[in-house]
Amino acid sequence: MALLTPYSKIPELNTATLLLVENEEQFQCRLADAIVQREKDVNVNVRLARKLPLPVENGETRPRIDLVVFIVNLLSEQSFLVVENSLNHLSSDYFLGKVCFVVTSARCGAVSQERLLSVRKLAASHRCPVICAEHQTDDGVTMAATRLLTILKVSAGLSPMPTTALYMSTLTRCTVPSDLDED
Amino acid sequence: KKNMLDFFILGLFISPGSAVNTPVRRPVTRRSKSYGRSCVEPPSLFWQTPGHLTTLGHRIPTSRRAAKSHNITEKVDPEQVALLLDGEWKLSYVTPLFLFRHTQLKLYSKRLAAFIIAEKQQGVAVEVGLEAGFRVSFSAVLGMAETEEDAETISSRPVFGADGSKPVWQGWLTCVNGDPEYLRSLPPDFTSLPLFCSRGAESLSALVKSWFQRTFDCSFGALGLSSSTLHWLAALWTGCHPAAGIRYLKLGWTMPTQPPLDIEYSVDPQDAWELWNSVHKEDGADERISVDEVQSFINGLETHFFRHFKIYLSSGTLTKVSTALGSAHHHGKIKVITINSDYISTVLTLLTECALLKTPV
Repeated sequence: MALLTPYSKIPELNTATLLLVENEEQFQCRLADAIVQREKDVNVNVRLARKLPLPVENGETRPRIDLVVFIVNLLSEQSFLVVENSLNHLSSDYFLGKVCFVVTSARCGAVSQERLLSVRKLAASHRCPVICAEHQTDDGVTMAATRLLTILKVSAGLSPMPTTALYMSTLTRCTVPSDLDED
Repeated sequence: KKNMLDFFILGLFISPGSAVNTPVRRPVTRRSKSYGRSCVEPPSLFWQTPGHLTTLGHRIPTSRRAAKSHNITEKVDPEQVALLLDGEWKLSYVTPLFLFRHTQLKLYSKRLAAFIIAEKQQGVAVEVGLEAGFRVSFSAVLGMAETEEDAETISSRPVFGADGSKPVWQGWLTCVNGDPEYLRSLPPDFTSLPLFCSRGAESLSALVKSWFQRTFDCSFGALGLSSSTLHWLAALWTGCHPAAGIRYLKLGWTMPTQPPLDIEYSVDPQDAWELWNSVHKEDGADERISVDEVQSFINGLETHFFRHFKIYLSSGTLTKVSTALGSAHHHGKIKVITINSDYISTVLTLLTECALLKTPV
C-alpha cells in the first residue's frame, strides 16, 4: 500500500482538502483555524498529521487530498528528518504541483544557516515552493493561511483563471543558487 | 589604587596591495532553458529574494583542516598565549574597522582611557583629589597570522600593565584564517578583525564597544554558537584525543518540553575516539574533516542515546560541549584550557569563520 496518490479518488463539488504535516504539532492547529476562517466560498477541509504514512484505518473515509503541506520548524533537526522520511510515502504524481513546504523560525538568529539551505535544496530537488511563515503573531499566521489558500485553490482546480497546478509550481518552485553560479 | 584595563589585540596586517578588487559575488547568471515563453524564467525571483543577509552568503565550508599539534609557542610569546587562554570569553562579531592603524596603539589606549573616565564620571559629583584612573594598554600579539593574505605583522612592543594591579577587564580582537576572497574585497582603509572576545564587567564591555563604534565606525553584535559549530568543536576535540587526552566528552541538550528538560550526555573518551575513528578517514598528508563525517559522528551519538532512552536528541537544541581541552556554550561563550594551547589556532579559525558568517553585509 504505502503511497498516497492524488488521483485515486473522485473529487467533490466545490471542495478542497489540505493536509498539514508537522512533527511538533505547534503551528498546525493555528494555521488550520486561520485557513478555515478565511475561506467562505469554497469548502475547505483541513486534515492534520504528524508524519506520513497516514494510518491505514482511515483510508476509505479520507477524501482526496489536493495539497500536502510539510511544516518544518528550523529550530529542531528532528522536524527536518521526519519530513525527509515522509516524502518517500508520497506518490510521484503529488510533486507536479500538489506539495508545498512551510518553514518557521527562519529569521531566528540561533538557527544555523545550513538547515534552511538543506530545506531549500530538498524543495528544489522536488520542484516545490517554500514559504517562510511567522508563527508567533496572528498576522503571520493569517498571511501564511492566505498564501496556502491561493496555492490550494489552484491545485484543487478551483481557481477562476485557467491555471494548472503544474504551471503554478513551475513558476514558484524553490531554486537554490548552485555553487557554480556563484563563483 | 589604580585600576588597569588590559586590552590585547591579535593583530593582523592585511596588505591592501592588490589593485584589482575582486567582488565577493559576481552577478549570478541563470542558465535559462527555453520553454518558448519568456515569462517562465527566472522563477525564483517571484517568490523569494535571493537575499544574502550575511557577508559570506551561502558559502559555508564543507571541510576543514584538522587540528595539527604544531607548536604555537614558537611563533607567539608564551606569556601572552597563557593570558589569552585563562578563563571564559564572551564572543561577539565586529564589522570591519575603518582607519585602524596598528602603529597608533598608544594613542588609542590614551583615548580609550579618557573616554572611560569621562563616561564613569557622568552624573557623579567630582570630588577634589579624586585619584581614580583607568589605565588602558593596547598591545598586538604577533605571530597569529596564518594565511598568505596576512602579510606583515606589526613589530610593536607588547605593553603589559604595571605590576601589582589586577586587570578589571580584558578583551581581544582577532582574525585567524579569514575567508581570503572577502578580505581581498574590502576597500583599502578597512581592517577586518571580525572576532571580539571579552571578559569582565558588562558595563566596561559596553563602554569599550561604544568607543570602538565611535572611533572606527564599526558595529558589534552578539555571536551565538549554532549547533553546527558545536558539532565541529566536538569532532575536533575528539580528534585530538590520542595526542592530548580529552578525559571526557560532555554534551548538554535542552529539550523543548514543559518544563524544559536539560540532558547532559557524558561519553567515555576512548569510546568517543573509536566512534570518531570509524567515521573519519585518515587522508594522510592533508587532514581535512568533512561535514558529513561530523554529522555521522553526532548521529552515532544521538542514535545510541535514542536506543537507550527513546528520546530524540535532535528535537532539542545542543547548548554545551565540553572536554578537558575546552568548553563552548551556545550563547557565545568559549573557554580553551591552558594545557593544550596548540589547538587554539584551529579553534580560532572556526570562530573567525562563525563571526564572518554572522556579520551582516
